[in-house]
Amino acid sequence: MKKHRTTIVSSFIMAIGFTCAFFSSCREKNKEGMIIFTRSAVKSNSTNFDKSDSWRYIPQAQILKLDPEKPEASEKVLTTNFYSAHSPEISYDGKYLLFAAQQKQNDPWQIWEMDLNDLKSRQVTSSKENCTDPAYLPLGRIVFSKYSADDTLKAGHSLYICNTDGSNMKRISFNPFSYLASNVLSDGRILTIGRQVFPEQGVPVYMVLRPDGTKSELFYKGVEGGSLFSPGLETNNGKLVFIESDKSNFGEGNLISINYNRPLHSRVNLSSEIKGDFHSVFPQKSGRLLVSYRKSESDRYALYEFDPEKKVLGKAIYSNNDYDVLEVVITGKHERPKKLPSEVDMGVKTGLLLCQDINILDMRPSATFSKSSKIKIVGIDSTLGSVDVAEDGSFYLKVRADKPFQIQTVDKDGHILRSPCGWIWLRPNERRGCVGCHEDPELVPANRVPLSVKKSPVIIPMHINKVVEKKVSLE
Amino acid sequence: MKASRIISVIVFLSVLGLIIYFTGGKWARTHVNYITATGDHPLNCLSCHLYTQKSGFIYKLVNKKYLSPFNLAVSKDGSRLYVVAQEDNSLLVVDPQKRKVLNRISVGNLPHSVILTNDGQKAYVSNQWSDNVSVIDLASAKVIDTLNTGNGPAGLSLSADGKFLYVVDSYSSNISVIDLNTGEERKRFNSGNNPTGAELSPDGKTLYVTSRRALIAPYGETIETELTVVDEGIQRIRDRRNIESAYMMENVAFTPTGDMAMITMIRPKNLVPSIQVEQGWMMTYGLTIIEQKENGRVIQLLLDEPNAYYSDPFDIVITPDGKKAFISHSGVNTISVVNIDSVRSLISKSSPEQLNSYSNNLGISSRYVIKRIKTGADPKGLALSSDGRLLYVAEQLEDRISVINTESLETVGSIKLGGPRIVTVARQGRRLFNNSGHTFQNQFDCYTCHPDMHEDGLVYNMASKDMGRNLTNTQSLRDIGDTPPYKWNGKNQTVYKQDGMRFSTVLTRTEQFNYKDLDALTAYIITGIPYPPNLQYNPNGELTESQLRGKAMFERTKDSYGNVIPENNRCITCHTPPYYTNLKMAYVKTLAVTDDSMLFDTPHLNNIYASPPYLHDGRAATLEEIWTKYGTEDRHGRINDMTKNQLNDLVDYLKSLRAPTYDNIVTKKFHAKN
Repeated sequence: MKKHRTTIVSSFIMAIGFTCAFFSSCREKNKEGMIIFTRSAVKSNSTNFDKSDSWRYIPQAQILKLDPEKPEASEKVLTTNFYSAHSPEISYDGKYLLFAAQQKQNDPWQIWEMDLNDLKSRQVTSSKENCTDPAYLPLGRIVFSKYSADDTLKAGHSLYICNTDGSNMKRISFNPFSYLASNVLSDGRILTIGRQVFPEQGVPVYMVLRPDGTKSELFYKGVEGGSLFSPGLETNNGKLVFIESDKSNFGEGNLISINYNRPLHSRVNLSSEIKGDFHSVFPQKSGRLLVSYRKSESDRYALYEFDPEKKVLGKAIYSNNDYDVLEVVITGKHERPKKLPSEVDMGVKTGLLLCQDINILDMRPSATFSKSSKIKIVGIDSTLGSVDVAEDGSFYLKVRADKPFQIQTVDKDGHILRSPCGWIWLRPNERRGCVGCHEDPELVPANRVPLSVKKSPVIIPMHINKVVEKKVSLE
Repeated sequence: MKASRIISVIVFLSVLGLIIYFTGGKWARTHVNYITATGDHPLNCLSCHLYTQKSGFIYKLVNKKYLSPFNLAVSKDGSRLYVVAQEDNSLLVVDPQKRKVLNRISVGNLPHSVILTNDGQKAYVSNQWSDNVSVIDLASAKVIDTLNTGNGPAGLSLSADGKFLYVVDSYSSNISVIDLNTGEERKRFNSGNNPTGAELSPDGKTLYVTSRRALIAPYGETIETELTVVDEGIQRIRDRRNIESAYMMENVAFTPTGDMAMITMIRPKNLVPSIQVEQGWMMTYGLTIIEQKENGRVIQLLLDEPNAYYSDPFDIVITPDGKKAFISHSGVNTISVVNIDSVRSLISKSSPEQLNSYSNNLGISSRYVIKRIKTGADPKGLALSSDGRLLYVAEQLEDRISVINTESLETVGSIKLGGPRIVTVARQGRRLFNNSGHTFQNQFDCYTCHPDMHEDGLVYNMASKDMGRNLTNTQSLRDIGDTPPYKWNGKNQTVYKQDGMRFSTVLTRTEQFNYKDLDALTAYIITGIPYPPNLQYNPNGELTESQLRGKAMFERTKDSYGNVIPENNRCITCHTPPYYTNLKMAYVKTLAVTDDSMLFDTPHLNNIYASPPYLHDGRAATLEEIWTKYGTEDRHGRINDMTKNQLNDLVDYLKSLRAPTYDNIVTKKFHAKN
């Protein structure tokens, strides 16, 4: 009798256990498929990169979640305690939500992280200036944009990284560019929209750099007269998708795809046959895209599914006549990017730059082409020096780390030959190579020893005769 | 009394246990930290002490014998595949329709290639580690003859009339011409350095033989690798074309019309400081195209893309209609498909300047690469069915043949060859060794600079604190498990450290191997890379008279004048058998002006003949030059008293050194000192 009772009790407990486990797993399954999106009644169209009122700061925005199975019935505002919140980003384990938010209307924007289990938020940054567009890096780090005005940047957004608890914050971009709408590529690099802000405003381009701020380079140039509007996000078939305007619809966007393997020359406008505007895009595991789209200016942006193979828009998943749906992500685990090693050594004050041949140009040499025999290194406010290039066109510089500079080619008579290259900076102990001057980014170096590296590097600024570095061990 | 004694014993044992646990744990942590050069490698004794055993019961328990298909051929009617199983020393006869292995024919050691006679009656298999070719009667599936060749026979080609077999001797760098009537070697030509691929032109008049290693030249000069052109009609060398900026030219194929020959190749960046991987600063991969007309151009086109590299191109085949070329990339488990008409169109419209620029352009491949097809691990040899509809791919580290439809360009099947089903730790390590997935954008892998797990003969500018300094001659990985420390400066005490974080920061510049992968890679490097037999200079362990005299010089304690040579300046002191290294650091006064001050890890010398150039920066083109040009102060052994003949004897002896396994010498098991 007693044994029988024990069996019944055991079976009962096991049944309860299995039931709990079953429902718990169902709940988990639903949570992984949740859509998180931003909506706002007011939408800013400002594309300023040098002001803190750019289109990346959405006024009175809310972050919501909804179940895609029952979108109308399940919407829930996650950021009720904030005046405005946007830029949602899901952690790689699917447990946390990173976002930018203002608690009160005139507060600076800060980075916050929310536990998706209990929906409690924790402030990550405590900056006097606006912080926005956070993205997760591996190793418990994040990257974000922070507004600042200083001698290096003048005024705009620099990139910073820090731990998810806000500690160990470091700046990683050091040129007069404003960087916004960052994302982390699966290869471990940060893809960000960069726009020159000094001496004059440039056009937005996608730049890519390592999380330690090294090896910054152009990733995608964009169409002439257009602008970039959203983070570039990778799909599971080797593409990147994003929103870009062109001359015909400046201020609003087309849905664009490029290949990761060859981003500069693989642009496809997926929405060329669709009238209306796109505001943001998020790739799903299925290969389909979630997009915010409106048919006309008088409509609100709503959430749709998009088939990139057929280039057709599906039915609206969510729409609300009082709000624009502006950004979207999906909860759940996703692949962590590579953890890139860092060559930065803060004990070193300089970086090294090698150019293989300054006379390799993007454009084909014309009859009037004259070879450069000298380069001028130009800082933000002054010329840092002039250096003779070696006979093979190479030069080798040791420059102060974390200081922006440009390089200008000069002929033997001192006449400027070509406009300066874009702003470069080197991180402490970074060693960087470039093939030529304004060269085709798809060119690799020829296999030859640059003559310039047979001598010691020229120290820039040239008034410094010697840099006493800490001893770096030989590899 | 009894109870108190029991309690005392329990207390004693507990205290002892705690002492062992804490001190032992601390010791284990210190030991593992030292071995792995990390602070958090799991304290898993098995990962090192089980999988790095080189012999014995445990070795047999945790390792398996795989087949490792390397090259293959298809019968004319398509009913049979003949697959060279390199690790199994066999030729497998496979029915591709039934996807079944019908026969296993034992051949020589480490077979390399197979070729079928035009009548389909016989197959010839080159045995790279036996210095011969097995002749197989396909009807009876038996070896009916063995033909002697030069050293390291690899690629094979039959003359147009089928009367002669051309054998590429990869180790001795020759081409053997074998008269198939008599089975005798009729001629032997010198070829380029480390040749492998051989292909006869469609008109049967020209034989191309490709080389893998570049010609030895001082660092800084443009690297050149020889393509040897044989006039098949008169059986003479017609031309030696040095292909600039390329090496590892594994294989060659002609278009059916014979207007072009296409050769797989690597365009390395060893002369450029290794400061970054981005923008192709370390390695690029592609095809050398040689126009088959008078004053035909040599054109090089990359197969890479700006953010994706297609490492280690190995084989190339061209469809009978001449429309498509298929190239296997063993480093990225991929087949590239090239539209040959697009290549023709591109090169016909391009000026010499444009073509020169294309050879360094990562985007140009989009003009002619029409598809990338994924395969299993380490795709090597390729073979097309005679109608060109099916492509067979030897997946070396999968023990499998994959089948690709050449119209749809989809994989339509695979044939398992019957190797072990499980992937052992060392096998996984070999896969990692051969795969570029652990380098930023797949730009290279261990195998790229260490082909055949050896070295590629190049000197790299491993820019460290400065550029243009720190030139490094690539070292062989053969049997290195017992010869720590590693690197020329001996900075890495173990293979773990060599391939760990440092490897990631300085070379691959992407996420380092996780510890499971690092354990596997280490297990493979320590246990799985044997030396080839030194059949060229020491075929049977009996030294020649010159080598014996050289041995005496190597072991001498007095110089030619009768003076005692200080112990630390005798060859035998630092180069102690069986690996010919005492595992210690030494000062031999071969630092270059630009080198940082350092001592050198004494290198091991077995099979040293196969590792030119010599010294840490590769400045010595030959063994002789180590002393005649760079050892004039007698700091690298007492040498200058020797006569020229004595030095020749010494070099002869050095060339005879071979792995201890071939002399049945029991070596120490791997351990790192702590």
